[in-house]
Amino acid sequence: MKDVIAFIEHKHGGARRSSIEALCAARSAADALGGSVHAVVAGPQAAAVAETLKVYPVDRIHVLDDASLAQAGVDPLVDALEVVARAAGPALVIVANTMIGRDVGSRFAGRVDAGINADITGIEVVDGRVVCVSPKLGGTTITSCAFKNCDYGVAAIRPNVFAVKAAAGAGEVIALAPSGKSYAVTVEDDVEEAAAELGVEEASVVVSGGRGMGGPEPFTGILHDLAEAFGGAVGASRAAVDAGWVSHSHQVGQTGKTISPSLYMAVGISGAIQHKVGMRTAATIVAINKDATVPIADFADLLVVGDAFAIVPELTKLVREAKTAHA
Amino acid sequence: MRIVVTVKLVPDTAADKRIDPATKRLVRTGVDIVLNPFDEYAIEAALQLRDKLADGSTVTIFSMTPENGRDVVRKALAMGADDAVILSDPGLAGSDMWATAYALAHGIKAGGFDLVLTGTQSTDAISGDLPGMLAEYLGVPALTYARQLEIDGNRLRVKRETETGYQTASAPLPALASVTKSANEPRYPSLKGIMGAKKKDIKTLALADLGLTKAVGSDGSRTEVLALATPPAREKGRTITAAGGADGARAVLDFLKSRHLL
Repeated sequence: MKDVIAFIEHKHGGARRSSIEALCAARSAADALGGSVHAVVAGPQAAAVAETLKVYPVDRIHVLDDASLAQAGVDPLVDALEVVARAAGPALVIVANTMIGRDVGSRFAGRVDAGINADITGIEVVDGRVVCVSPKLGGTTITSCAFKNCDYGVAAIRPNVFAVKAAAGAGEVIALAPSGKSYAVTVEDDVEEAAAELGVEEASVVVSGGRGMGGPEPFTGILHDLAEAFGGAVGASRAAVDAGWVSHSHQVGQTGKTISPSLYMAVGISGAIQHKVGMRTAATIVAINKDATVPIADFADLLVVGDAFAIVPELTKLVREAKTAHA
Repeated sequence: MRIVVTVKLVPDTAADKRIDPATKRLVRTGVDIVLNPFDEYAIEAALQLRDKLADGSTVTIFSMTPENGRDVVRKALAMGADDAVILSDPGLAGSDMWATAYALAHGIKAGGFDLVLTGTQSTDAISGDLPGMLAEYLGVPALTYARQLEIDGNRLRVKRETETGYQTASAPLPALASVTKSANEPRYPSLKGIMGAKKKDIKTLALADLGLTKAVGSDGSRTEVLALATPPAREKGRTITAAGGADGARAVLDFLKSRHLL
């Protein structure tokens, strides 16, 4: 493996932050391998997205600007990635460990018989081999895993872990030819729900609610408002999801998502092991709970014991003021 | 229609899981092995589709597992699946994601299928990469993260979760879908189901039955674990008791400022 290819997710003409992280991780790996960094951007407004990538350290940006791809699911994206990878020769492919990144990375890996390492928090090059570092078993074990027997390797990196560095590279834009295929999947309807700008996996601040919320209202009310003030996302514990208060896509924990935001706020969440494994690698954990003896007291950086329904709205006001003062 | 549901056997979610430093594999002895909880949503979705079709369609459970997984597979049969296949061979030990998807696909193809349903991830590996890779080796379209499924003539149509909302998407059969937790409430096996499952057929496939052209198991895998480490534990932080809403909010704000988070 010499070259490194970053797969870029984007919408509304902008690249997702986790994909920029993939691009910057690709630079470090390519420098260690002595290869080039490629970005692959396909779909509606891909050309505009490519322009925004030029401030990052990328050598070649491969673009397939085609609005019709949005109706065909991930298959044309995998095709675009495959074309670039086959031309580049043995390479490391980096995707974000997001819903789309996983779908594209795993299908690509099947396409070219590649090894795949998921939920990566570090990429090293040791004696010319790519080694992926990943927390396993709920973060209790850190594994270092290398590729073998394959020309291509896929690393799905955990969002919010790899640093973004704005440092322009050659940024050569190369147009990809349309595949000319008709695709099996038809996306008939694509609905963006309001209040869900960022998924919990990607948001740098996650405000989660648990059993202590007592019903669905806080998830569209006080928790949503606080998350919005931070520019973050609303998360939830299993208890809240199982009670039907909020959809499963918000769930953090063993049967939900594993995330590493810069700030995780656990509101009315006790912090049982099944929740802890999904958020223990957050940089900072703040809990608000009426009970001082909850398990989360043992691993939160700050536990405020009090009434969340009184504290959270006040905090939202203070965060908004602080943000306005900085703006 | 032949619906195949892939299931994985995992250590009980409440069990203390560890990796053997010598083999660098998950220790699977001495802990209770259960059906991957995520797979139960796929089983339930398959049973609902079959019962709605009511046209002689069948649900087959497919699992790559050592022989001792047979009893757990029977639980899936007790939920109402028609039969099961286990792919069991010492040569599969140590298979990584690639080898697992490759071998599973060939095993599933051997028996034929119209629709393959999977869970979205397992509670032990949590990679979420199996559905896409499996679909690729099966050579069929994949509709992942489905929370509602219907068969419309020769098409599978799903409502699928996205990070910011949902999509309605469809694909012609044969196809694969991964089923999310929000799709349904998996049924508990009834006493009748449990008794009936004892008589249901669990077929065994070995590597030799698959005609693979590439090596699997730890030798054929495309990844290898080089090292294991234990991360430092999180330390206990401060606990503050808030006198009221404003007081608690101020405590959080001051803390966030001290960490340069605001």
